[in-house]
Amino acid sequence: MAAWVKGGATDAETAIAAAATLLAAARAPVVAGLCAELAAVRAAIHLAGTLGASLDTAGAAGTYAELGALSRTGAMLTTPAEALGRADTVLVLGAAPWDAPILPALAAGAPTRGRAAGTERALLSIGGPGNGATRHVAYPQESGALALSVAHLRAFAKGHLAGESAYADLARRLFAAQYGVAVYDPAELGELGIEMLQGLVKDLNETTRFFTLPLSGPNQDRAVVQLSAWTTGQAPRLGFGRGLPEHDPWRFDSARQVRAGEADAALWLASLPSPRPDWLGRLPSVAIVGEGSPDAVADAAEIVIAVGVPGESTGGALWNEGRATVTYQPATGAPAELTAADVLGRIRDRLTDQKGA
Amino acid sequence: MSVLTLREAPPERLDLLNITPLALSGLSEAEVARLPIGTTRRGLSLGDCFTVKLDRSDSLVIEGGSERLDQVGAALSEGTIRVAGDVGQRLGEGMAGGSLTVEGAAGPFAGAGATGGLITIEGDAGDHAGGAVYAAKAGLDGATLIIRGRAGDHLGDRMRRGVIVAGEAGAFAGSRMIAGTLAALKTGDHPGFGMRRGTLLVGAHGALGPTFVETGTHDLVFLRLLVRSLRALSPAHADLAAGALRRYSGDLATLGKGEIWTAAA
Repeated sequence: MAAWVKGGATDAETAIAAAATLLAAARAPVVAGLCAELAAVRAAIHLAGTLGASLDTAGAAGTYAELGALSRTGAMLTTPAEALGRADTVLVLGAAPWDAPILPALAAGAPTRGRAAGTERALLSIGGPGNGATRHVAYPQESGALALSVAHLRAFAKGHLAGESAYADLARRLFAAQYGVAVYDPAELGELGIEMLQGLVKDLNETTRFFTLPLSGPNQDRAVVQLSAWTTGQAPRLGFGRGLPEHDPWRFDSARQVRAGEADAALWLASLPSPRPDWLGRLPSVAIVGEGSPDAVADAAEIVIAVGVPGESTGGALWNEGRATVTYQPATGAPAELTAADVLGRIRDRLTDQKGA
Repeated sequence: MSVLTLREAPPERLDLLNITPLALSGLSEAEVARLPIGTTRRGLSLGDCFTVKLDRSDSLVIEGGSERLDQVGAALSEGTIRVAGDVGQRLGEGMAGGSLTVEGAAGPFAGAGATGGLITIEGDAGDHAGGAVYAAKAGLDGATLIIRGRAGDHLGDRMRRGVIVAGEAGAFAGSRMIAGTLAALKTGDHPGFGMRRGTLLVGAHGALGPTFVETGTHDLVFLRLLVRSLRALSPAHADLAAGALRRYSGDLATLGKGEIWTAAA
């Protein structure tokens, strides 16, 4: 166990007391990151409620690109397991998905069940890295946003544009699929692109079966969205300043709040690896980070507390990308002295005691 | 004319939803001063931030603006509100009628979902002016929004009805437009992305998406009516509409019943 207060090493109890004092003095604190096991995120939401703080996640850009389109048009979604087992056509959009573990598996495999079973799998791409490492058919990307390419493709798919072009050929291939899947990274494609893609997929489903597979990345946002929904009824960019959870993706953007001088303290929760925001050092802050992470150092924040890493030194419920659901991951190594949920709960207890005193 | 005078820069974002002439007309100055407007656990009330002078008229002036004043005129249905300064997000959100004027700049989502009335921003506007807030079905929905300065990106995103007039606009003006009319002397890249119906009138624009096709120049009665309706709002935009125009049809990735009119020269 390691903890630091203002650069000096200390014990957990002292660091927790200092964190409670720092947060109690704030009027508009933010609780950000939320890249942790669900027990810790739940404790963070309860702490934010006690503090009147706002909440934000590490992967909010992608999360809100996805939620924005979902709230407007709905979505045709599938899971990685279904894509691996059934897809005969996979359309990879952008560069980010090529770093995802599922891409090599999709490229190496073929559909084994469903109506496309026994056929070859075609891997198609727009805006891929084009490094030749994975065999696929690459189509050129429009200059500018990736969303423009999706729109151009959709115009051909709808028959509103005609003629011999690369996208006309790609549209024909998509309609020929027996079970197609479009793979994308929500943060890279953006809300406009996702909405356009969902429209394209609905058009394709007039004649065949086609779905989308958004990749979640290393953060826990997929799980946090569900936890936030069942705990507060809202998506995670929340504020408790008026005693009730208010949802406002613009107002509770933690980076914007710090930039505008609205936040006066921060708590960063990342028991799993997550890039520390550059704004954390600009205001009084508490960092609860995983043991052994690059951020478990004295100067990461005013108060730093190292906690168990879920799936390594503590058990925890995490987003399972392969199964597209929340699953429990037991500790694989020696258990840590502290868990993030325990630390957050003890900070909250101290705040509650202070209020009652 | 009732007057709220901001004493100093607010320490946090303030929510002025329901601070309208109609809402204040039945209250005493002491009652108005107790109205909660804070958004953090400070629990600020109107009297903590503003001096209050009421005359029970249908006209309200907010002296001294701040980019932290949110939802100014958001519930306005009649009367007028004038802000001598800047305002924050969601200016006139869902406004149903009356007149709202900001002498400074406005934050994002000005006029979101406004169904009636006139909103005038003398300075610049943030992103998504006349656009839809998160999870909303539509942006501007029948009101008239005038931005004398420059609007940010996504001006008129998902607007469904009404008129937007802007000096300049950023990228993706009129994106996902459902219907309505948007006029700007200049826009950034990709105006009209994903628009289903509606009319964009632009003097100059950045890159146009590949899903818009030119349909030539036309002399339509609609354009003469547009000139007439714009003349009262902005002579410069009316002159633009009266000049030689080239028409593009799109967005062909969607319904494709929208149009972009650009200066032909």
